[in-house]
Amino acid sequence: MNSIRRRLLLWLLSGLALAVVAAGARIYTQTLAEANELFDYHLQQMAASLPSDSFGPLPPSNLNELAAEDGLVVQIWNRNGLELYFSRPASKLPQRAELGFSTVDTSRGAWRVYSALEQNNVVQVAQPMSVRQNLAAGMALRALFPLLALLPVLGILIWITVGRGLRPLDRMADALGQRTPDALDALPQEGLPREIRPLVQALNELLGRLSRALESQKAFVADAAHELRTPLTAVQLQIQLAERANTAEEREAAFAQLKRGQARAAHLVQQLLTLARQEPGLAPRSQAPVDLAALARLVVSEYAPLAAERQVDLGLTHEEPASVPGDFEALRVMLGNLVDNAIRYTPAGGTVDVALRMNEGKAAIEIADTGPGIPQEDCARVFDRFYRREATKESGSGLGLAIVKNIADRHRATVLLENRVPGPGLRVSIGFAPV
Amino acid sequence: MRLLLVEDDPMIGESVRAGLQQDGFALDWVQDGRAAELALQTNQYDLLLLDLGLPRKGGLDVLAALRRRGDAIAVLILTARDAVTDRVKGLDTGADDYLVKPFDLEELAARIRALLRRQSGRADPVIKIGNLSINPATHEVSLDAEPVALSAREFALIHALAARPGVVLSRAQLEEKLYGWGHEVESNTVEVYIHSLRRKLGADAIQNVRGVGYVMPKPS
Repeated sequence: MNSIRRRLLLWLLSGLALAVVAAGARIYTQTLAEANELFDYHLQQMAASLPSDSFGPLPPSNLNELAAEDGLVVQIWNRNGLELYFSRPASKLPQRAELGFSTVDTSRGAWRVYSALEQNNVVQVAQPMSVRQNLAAGMALRALFPLLALLPVLGILIWITVGRGLRPLDRMADALGQRTPDALDALPQEGLPREIRPLVQALNELLGRLSRALESQKAFVADAAHELRTPLTAVQLQIQLAERANTAEEREAAFAQLKRGQARAAHLVQQLLTLARQEPGLAPRSQAPVDLAALARLVVSEYAPLAAERQVDLGLTHEEPASVPGDFEALRVMLGNLVDNAIRYTPAGGTVDVALRMNEGKAAIEIADTGPGIPQEDCARVFDRFYRREATKESGSGLGLAIVKNIADRHRATVLLENRVPGPGLRVSIGFAPV
Repeated sequence: MRLLLVEDDPMIGESVRAGLQQDGFALDWVQDGRAAELALQTNQYDLLLLDLGLPRKGGLDVLAALRRRGDAIAVLILTARDAVTDRVKGLDTGADDYLVKPFDLEELAARIRALLRRQSGRADPVIKIGNLSINPATHEVSLDAEPVALSAREFALIHALAARPGVVLSRAQLEEKLYGWGHEVESNTVEVYIHSLRRKLGADAIQNVRGVGYVMPKPS
């Protein structure tokens, strides 16, 4: 029964019922105590008022009338124990030895008995306790009856009030239900009960985050589509040139161009996929410790052929044992992109040095090249998606550093670009958080 | 006809240059907005092919500056920006035509021809001067309805002169229309081609204005 309304109703009514029962019990015990006092006095009076002379023809009917409603039983014995009088022969009680008040358990329930010595006779007046209990119970019930009759009314009132109190939630649910997926503006907060406001606030914050995420996704898709046009345009033009080619030589050259164009489009698609997989905000898929030294060795050996082709001297100059929790494949893509950039922008005869250092428990990977470096004003923008610096002979996707940044962010690592002093050259440092 | 291509992407630039040169256009290619402005100020072009997303100076800025200077050169925008607002903005900034990437080489060449035709005040795609007719699309030339075989350079030369009959073009101007950058021009090439054209089309087809240059006479 997971309904606030029902739960409230149940608990409130249970509480009320409990209070009613407690009040009843209290009224009952109090009334009973008062009745005891009163009836005991009555018994005493009765015993005293009996005729003290000889028991001749006592008018029993008189006594009977007197005693009937209170269930009184009167018994009189003389000194010798001879029974002189029984008001009700049917409900005979044993003669009590002691005088005064006593409570006797009989087969017909508990009786209150008062014995007194009146001249030479023993007078015993008795009354069943049930009379007193009935009286007390009756009192209690009469007092409680209006409250009991009120319980259903209270139930209905609670049902309605709680329903009204929860109506803002229904309205919110309606408002949310009618929204289209891209309507992510904040919900109105005016007139909301204090209890619901935190929920709406939290919801609005979530909507805000969703909206920003959606915007960045839209921008990404638009950028991606736009960027795909360029390599596709190149491929289309190259196909046409290949079709027009008249000689085998021309055709061969055109196809070589076409292959490069196709490779470039494929590379861009691959980079887009990598970027999409490394969206910021996602935690790394894996938190297994990654051996950074092994990673650096692997990436350097992977890019050795490209470096050789470009006549760039690529090497791992320094390594220390270091490991960070993270996603090995992602870190490999990150380091690979940086090494690839360094090789591509370094002129033939240059050097690319990769180094892995530990500084005060923090691991850092440095990639230093002897390329042209990056002007200071561009250092922040190079991480933007599709940002390319001035026309260079390298036609990259413009995504490499954006991917690096995303992966670094997901691993709580920093990426620092700085021009080497003395130049020329660029040094990229990836600083990991202390383990 | 000499064109300036402003395109920052090396592959596209390479392909467009190759394709348009096959179509007989002389084409210079620069890769950023500043270089484009420099080229426009130092050379005479018949048409500008302009990308919008350029390093250093955006295509629209180049175009706006060009029109502010009062330069009436025909401009064809080549861009990946396909939104209607982008196209409207491009045309309203002063472009004559707008082609969205990816585009077809044939279509690009046809649009260039159409712009050049309009620029010289013609609607007929075939240039007719007296008994001579020149088709820029097919590179066919005929004299008295008889086809005449011309080399690519000869065609480029007659096309340049025929585009504006009555206007005298200097040897340097003709050389510019024949060659893009990076082509070594022999000192007497234009004379060689003029000589050959006169031989094929008749001696009065092209007149020499001594000390000034060459002209195709307007038919009376």
